[in-house]
Amino acid sequence: MPDLSLEAVRVSFPGLAAPALEIPALRVAAGTRLAVTGPSGAGKTTLINLMVGLTRPDSGRIGWGETDLTRLGEGRRDRFRATHVGLVMQNFHLFPGLSALENVLLPARFWSLRLDPALKARALALLERVGVRRPRQKVETLSRGEMQRVAVARAVLMSPEVLVADEPTASLDAEAGDAVAGLLCELAQEQSATLIVVTHDARLVARMARHLTLVDGRIVADVPVVRAHGAAEAVE
Amino acid sequence: MIPFGFILADLRRLWLGAVAIVLLIALATALGIAVQLQERALRLGSARAADRFDLVVGAAGSETQLVLSSVFLQAAPLPLMDGSELRALAEDPRVAYAAPVGFGDSFEGLPIVGTIAAFALEAGGGALAEGQVFDALDEAVVGALVPLRLSGIVKPMHGLPGEGGHTHSEIEYHVVGRMAPTGTPWDRAILVPIEAVWRLHGMGGDHVWPRRAEGEAEHSHGIAAASDHLGSPWPQATPGVPAVIVKARTIADAYRLRAQYRKPPTLAVFPAEVLVRLYGTLGDARLLLGGIALGAQGLVIVAVMLVSAVHLAQRRGQIAALRALGAPRRAIFTLVWSEVMALVGVGAMLGLVLGFLAARAVAAQLTRQSGIVLPVEFAADDLAFVAMMLAVAALAALVPAVMAYRQPATLGLSA
Repeated sequence: MPDLSLEAVRVSFPGLAAPALEIPALRVAAGTRLAVTGPSGAGKTTLINLMVGLTRPDSGRIGWGETDLTRLGEGRRDRFRATHVGLVMQNFHLFPGLSALENVLLPARFWSLRLDPALKARALALLERVGVRRPRQKVETLSRGEMQRVAVARAVLMSPEVLVADEPTASLDAEAGDAVAGLLCELAQEQSATLIVVTHDARLVARMARHLTLVDGRIVADVPVVRAHGAAEAVE
Repeated sequence: MIPFGFILADLRRLWLGAVAIVLLIALATALGIAVQLQERALRLGSARAADRFDLVVGAAGSETQLVLSSVFLQAAPLPLMDGSELRALAEDPRVAYAAPVGFGDSFEGLPIVGTIAAFALEAGGGALAEGQVFDALDEAVVGALVPLRLSGIVKPMHGLPGEGGHTHSEIEYHVVGRMAPTGTPWDRAILVPIEAVWRLHGMGGDHVWPRRAEGEAEHSHGIAAASDHLGSPWPQATPGVPAVIVKARTIADAYRLRAQYRKPPTLAVFPAEVLVRLYGTLGDARLLLGGIALGAQGLVIVAVMLVSAVHLAQRRGQIAALRALGAPRRAIFTLVWSEVMALVGVGAMLGLVLGFLAARAVAAQLTRQSGIVLPVEFAADDLAFVAMMLAVAALAALVPAVMAYRQPATLGLSA
């Protein structure tokens, strides 16, 4: 279970004078639940793109333990993401026409021709775990809350060491959002995975252990989350 | 590496574009295939039709017209060759038989051909399907497709099929035999003794026309001026004929006969050599049509690239999401490429079927018009055509696939 470390990371976009992201140093211990907040354009999405190896910084080092993502080629980073990272996105990005089960198994299928039966059993168990009752149902017929729960099951299928969620509750109502937030925390804890959540949702932030605030590409606050009673118990 | 179900679900989602691509490919393939099948069918069909015709001798004129008129019974007036040539041919020891073919009359659009009994047997493949060959001036043998029964009555109409003309009231032919089907225009011909044709058109003898109905002799032997029989040996005053179909005893004889009769006032051709020349012309037409088909395919390829580029633009979010979920770039590449190729493949198969059906329909229409049976069948050429088409499409599909491959993967996934 590697720690995450960013050193002298800098990303700038053409045409913009100020860098989109500039982080001299950041360490996230394995198993941390980290919330990243900040206004739009603060660099939150840029940060998680870097953390999961979707993009590379102009300079600096992004390390997961001994692995330096900035030194890996695109194919190696794809491989890294497939095996170490689980992603949950705001708009779910489930694929219509496929069942909930097929959606959960989809990322695994890209890497092997024959599906391990154990993996399928795990997918079914995960769907049950997240409360999707009919795994063979076409995914577009599910409610939005169910869709995001399918996406959560998909993210943890390969037992990733890092779970990254980009506004996982933003397009859900409060109740469904709470359910998804709870599942993310529980599953991350069960798998001893690092959980990194970009969010505007204060209730979700409250479930985290550490809270990073970004403004204009810089970390302006990095504090432990002071838990309200109820939220803390929900996590434990 | 690409889940098959994913491709299917994807194509179902984009079904409108998918159907458009499939139809485009199908039509372009069908066009090319139909041209190819049709051309081959014409070649095979006409070659088979000319099979039984060793050497055709006629009066000097157009070789092509001589063959078209005698072998394919295409209505056109031919210059007459002097009757003495027919007699000479018939008595030539190198000749197995020399069958005159005389045109001029028709019955309900079917050509009436005057010839000899031996050829009525020969043209029908050596034996009749039913009945017997004609043995009297007012008897006829019909081709397999002629809608007349044995003992049916044929009232000849003057003029070639398709021309207006008066009905000869002087004679009615009685159908006494039917030829086996040959897949040639002769299936639609009514064969009568050449002497009857001569007589009907005032050539040769000057005897009164015998009629069975008036209770005269059962057989009309002895009515020709200098002859008491039908066919060879021909009388001194044999009337002229448009063409004589000659069966030589040996191949060498056939060549010698051709050499001998090539000089004016006669003309001698092997139908096969004329056909080869016609195929040359046909080949030019085919080249043109082939060019058109190829052009159509070029357009289709462009359309495929366009449609897939549009699809791709709509799918940037989906592709980015797949990448974010860890799908390798080659999987994205394969995904896009195989989706395009799946459509192209289905379209090509559909096009093969459509092209085959179209060629069959055209062939059937031509057969109805000409009597030539055109065998529409696939050959290695067609596979090569489809293979080339698929190969080109495979290259074209690389364009969107490479675009997808190169698309940067980021999580800006707001869409």
